[in-house]
Amino acid sequence: MLLTTTKEKDLLVVTLTTKEASLKNSEEFKTAMSQFLEEGHKKIVVDFRDVNYVDSSFLGALVSSLKLAMANHAEMFLSNLNKDVYNLLQLIRIDKVFTIYKDNEEALKQSQN
Amino acid sequence: MIQEIIEKKVLLVEDDIFSSMMMEKGLQKAGYKCLVARSAEEAFTILKNEMPDIILSDYEMPDMNGFDLRKQLIKDPRLKNIPFVFLTANTDEEMMLKGLKLNAIDYIIKGTSFPVIISKLDNVLEVVRNQHELSVQELKKAAEAINIKSIPANAPETKGFHIDFWHRPYEDYPGGDFIDFIKINEDCTFVILGDVMGKKWKAWFFTFGYLSYIRSVTRFLVLNKEFSTAKILKKINELICLDEALADIFSSLSLLMIDSKNSVVLYSGAGDLPLAYYNAETKEFKKIQAQGLLLGLKYNADYDEQTISMHNGDQLMLFSDGLIDFIKENDKQSDYDLFFSNIHSLAGNKNSFQNIKTKIISGTGNNVQADDASIIFIQKNQACY
Repeated sequence: MLLTTTKEKDLLVVTLTTKEASLKNSEEFKTAMSQFLEEGHKKIVVDFRDVNYVDSSFLGALVSSLKLAMANHAEMFLSNLNKDVYNLLQLIRIDKVFTIYKDNEEALKQSQN
Repeated sequence: MIQEIIEKKVLLVEDDIFSSMMMEKGLQKAGYKCLVARSAEEAFTILKNEMPDIILSDYEMPDMNGFDLRKQLIKDPRLKNIPFVFLTANTDEEMMLKGLKLNAIDYIIKGTSFPVIISKLDNVLEVVRNQHELSVQELKKAAEAINIKSIPANAPETKGFHIDFWHRPYEDYPGGDFIDFIKINEDCTFVILGDVMGKKWKAWFFTFGYLSYIRSVTRFLVLNKEFSTAKILKKINELICLDEALADIFSSLSLLMIDSKNSVVLYSGAGDLPLAYYNAETKEFKKIQAQGLLLGLKYNADYDEQTISMHNGDQLMLFSDGLIDFIKENDKQSDYDLFFSNIHSLAGNKNSFQNIKTKIISGTGNNVQADDASIIFIQKNQACY
């Protein structure tokens, strides 16, 4: 299974349960995100706690999901990024378009404001 | 370079514990990696994370039988093409025909000797592999015939500069990296390194859409005396954002303009990796990072532009992200800083490009190729004005 979900107030927490977020699971991720948006979720945080490696296919899926979220007037955040993954996002400036939180608690707190 | 061992992976769906253990043992002995599901439901759970080369499934199982499993698989675009072989104790011809109509490749009657089972599975995989290779060859031939190239054959001659490049596709498939050189005149050459996000054919296909925009926008703006890489990049991004066919496709891009007359390079980048710059006078080796967002992400994005003065012996290197993946503590990770420090000692001599290439190809930098890999190398030589 690629991901699990929990609900904290109005925030949907999508936890990736894979070490490698890559071409192998990017389409599945995109489909799942579009389903969550279709179901009407307006605040979604993607939790990367187990992810060590993200390839360009998965980054494409992340960005594409963000665009879809914006079109649905929903917000999409990232949390629990490890140092290497965060550095990569920063290096290619994807950190500028996502709101990144240290953990889900912070995501929940900030998203309630 | 860490080589991944290609192994044959079979998903065995069998509710009988004894039969599945026997079968698993036999398959493993024949070199197969064997995934075992005790029910059709368990098979779907495994298939969420695994892509076996072949599925070998019992017909008679409680709850969902082999036929229903096959019917469900056919509905899933990701799974429908995995070769499927029925395993059954039943020799009823009508039932076999029903299975074959569901595009099952073959039947294996339980009790068939292991060498025969293994030969059957090996044959199926061999046919699939050959067909796949044929299709790839046909696509490559078609692409060559209509002369579409995402990687040029040679680097251009540029006054006062030496340009070289190297590209290696991921697993030998054309992919998302693209390189281009647009020579405007004797004194002006644009250098392009892009990477459409994704891998293999899908990414490769979209490189042409991107390249068409990049070439035409650059030519058009230059005709109107606009040489600013930032302004060109902004216009390229706007057009790409307006193109619905590229709505879900993003690309990084490093755009450089070599100005031979003034010995400068203008640089703007969209979601690209930092350039590496070697200053021959101070021996400094440093990163030059742009601020621009990926192409296709935001319509009104702005791009910054940096002017790099190039003196004799100075070097500039552009990289795509397929070069920065490493295996650390058994896990794959991306680390640009590690890649940068690995090539640091190779900068600043006349064989820098060759040496960097050799280091990457030989894998002595411990990098593992998980995507297309490209380098463009630019060195300032004695000006000849």
